[in-house]
Amino acid sequence: MTVSQVVFILLSIAALGGALGVVFARNLFRAALALVLSFVGVAGFYVLLEAEFLAMVQILVYVGAIAILIIFAIMLSRRMMSSETQPWNEQWVGAVVVAAALFAALVFILSRVDWPATEAQVPADSISQLGQALVSPDFYVLPFEVASVLLLVALVGAVIIAREQ
Amino acid sequence: MPADYLPILFFAVVAVVLSAIAVLMPALFGPKRPTSVKLAPYESGKLPIGPARRRFSIQYYLYAVLFILFDVEIVFLFPWAVVFRDLAPRWLGLAEAAVFVLILLLGLAYVWKKGGLEWE
Amino acid sequence: MEISLPTFDFLVVAPEIVVLITALLVMVVDMVIGREQKGRLAWVALVGVLAAGALSYYLWDGSDPALHDMLAADGYALFLNLAILVAAALAILFSLEYTGRVGLAQGEYYTLLLLSTAGMMLMAAAINLMTIFLALEILSISLYVLVGLNRAERRSAEAALKYFVLGAFASGFLLYGMALIYGQAGTTSLAGIRAAVQAGGEPSALLLVGLGLMIAGFGFKVALVPFQMWTPDVYQGAPTSVTAFMSVGAKVAGFAALGRVALYAFGDLQGDWRWVLAVLSALTMTVGNLAALRQANLKRMLAYSSIAHAGYALAGLAAGNAQGTSGLLFYLFAYAFMNAGAFAIIIAAGRFEGATGGGETLDDFAGLAARKPGLAVAMALFMLSLAGVPPLAGFLAKLYVFGAAVRGGLIWLAVFGVVNSVISAYYYLRVVVSMYMREGRPAAVPAPVCAGLQVGVALAAVAIVLLGLWPGPIVDLARVAALALLGG
Repeated sequence: MTVSQVVFILLSIAALGGALGVVFARNLFRAALALVLSFVGVAGFYVLLEAEFLAMVQILVYVGAIAILIIFAIMLSRRMMSSETQPWNEQWVGAVVVAAALFAALVFILSRVDWPATEAQVPADSISQLGQALVSPDFYVLPFEVASVLLLVALVGAVIIAREQ
Repeated sequence: MPADYLPILFFAVVAVVLSAIAVLMPALFGPKRPTSVKLAPYESGKLPIGPARRRFSIQYYLYAVLFILFDVEIVFLFPWAVVFRDLAPRWLGLAEAAVFVLILLLGLAYVWKKGGLEWE
Repeated sequence: MEISLPTFDFLVVAPEIVVLITALLVMVVDMVIGREQKGRLAWVALVGVLAAGALSYYLWDGSDPALHDMLAADGYALFLNLAILVAAALAILFSLEYTGRVGLAQGEYYTLLLLSTAGMMLMAAAINLMTIFLALEILSISLYVLVGLNRAERRSAEAALKYFVLGAFASGFLLYGMALIYGQAGTTSLAGIRAAVQAGGEPSALLLVGLGLMIAGFGFKVALVPFQMWTPDVYQGAPTSVTAFMSVGAKVAGFAALGRVALYAFGDLQGDWRWVLAVLSALTMTVGNLAALRQANLKRMLAYSSIAHAGYALAGLAAGNAQGTSGLLFYLFAYAFMNAGAFAIIIAAGRFEGATGGGETLDDFAGLAARKPGLAVAMALFMLSLAGVPPLAGFLAKLYVFGAAVRGGLIWLAVFGVVNSVISAYYYLRVVVSMYMREGRPAAVPAPVCAGLQVGVALAAVAIVLLGLWPGPIVDLARVAALALLGG
């Protein structure tokens, strides 16, 4: 087993363990913290895949901002904060069946797929290549500008939702 | 290379071990003589007022959302800033980022005007 | 090192840019004008929408330019732009008085309406998975907020929450599908995916699963069974003018992207997806119609009816041929007028004194013909057109898609569609009967109807009659648009 395989397994434990914690934690606050662990694990995967910028974004946006937002949202609603919630309800059997079926189907299909692989090396200066691609009309300048519109929509929406009436 | 991340791994291990020591040692060896004052939540030396788990103002939520949005904006601008000097014509590269920022600035002006930044 | 940036042709996306700039303009104007002048924002928005419509029409010279694998200004996009802009313009006309009556924040209302319109147009023009997803999120997030904009109404907030949670779930499906497709094709460009699909041999399981997940994601947006659960609650809870807009716009945008992905990118795998869409189509029209039969609330009834119409339109896509595609386009265009128009009458009926159901129940429409003959005629036209009664637009639209299904070898689907149309006539005609044959309550006094709404209703009614009697020009446009997508 190579080092990166060991690291991969450790990261998988973090990501999946965190995800399980989110689902099974009785306290919503703890579920949110488990989510952070899962996010960090995913950031580790990006590092392993040599997508450093993506890993940084994952830490900055998901761990740094989205997790905080979720924790704020929990603290905004008092009952969620203090009381234990029951992660099970009467529909759990159906949910388990559906989730298991989806899992089985995906495993069945994805394990038979001949994944296309490339020999190409990840460029050393991937960030500057990304920067070029973002402003170059041959690549992503359009999605780049449209993304700002998407952020604007989210901004206006957030103000409307959060405004006290 | 993932090997470049060894210092970070080392750092993480040290952080976990140190904090584990800091939490476990007093629990194992420290004397336990609790009084009501000692058990009170630590509030920078002041007397705590009200329960700690009270509901937070919706304002925090708005601030957190704004933080995420501008966080994402930085994520987009970061790669652009790395290559900005090499773009030709440079004004076009600047204009592209300017449009991006201006649209979001308009959003900021909107939040400001609607009183979203005021703390009540 | 020097990186040279080629210039690019803004004209290609001029209609989208016009709508976006108008949205930003409305936002700025809203910040500087006083409270009593907010009504003018509607006119700013309307001018922008009309300008974008005119641009879309004049840009259409058959050259089908594309913007670097991201957006295309081909006939397909421009035709759908027209349908989307019709929905937006009608929604603005219907909102003139309604926003004030219900107490919606006008600045935000028109800003989000325009941003959502821009998202729909971008989605119709998108030829890259990345732009498809960005456009979908712009239109969806605007709609989530618009649905919940009525702060005085609990049901509005509930609808927004339901729409948001299920919509985010559907976006997840869509994104997962896109990721799998990217994993196989190595590109997000639809042209590149088409090339990967054509590369031959056994179709890769990744591509097929990815397409299936994408169909589920789009199916949610256009309310196909079994992804339709949210529709009645959301359509009922949302402000009625928003319902009028989203019931058309979101469907047009969803079908636009689904059509591009299925017919263009996965055109060579028709045999694999056609039967899926055909089964979904049959299921959708049947479930929608059977549920609509039992509704007493008109907004709910129209919600189920819109599910059924998604099923009819999907039959055109399932046909998998040029006739089916142009039939789908014609269907969406006609649907924009008749469905938005029907919701407009509900908006008008909400003002009648003694309208105990808020203008949303069958009782509120009793005897409408005697009190408001103009509105009653328009409503009767919308209902008959939705039911598919000749010679109105709805009839021709159904004729085209079912005819294409027969040509595509899906005779059973066409039979399903015809039987469903007959069933649906029952609940549409019930409204007409209520207006013309039943006595209104004496307390029900008609209120004056806003002029803008009258204009909008009149335009929609005239349009469905004209489209039914004289469909030639629009059918020709739809045919050109379909050929732009399918090539040939």
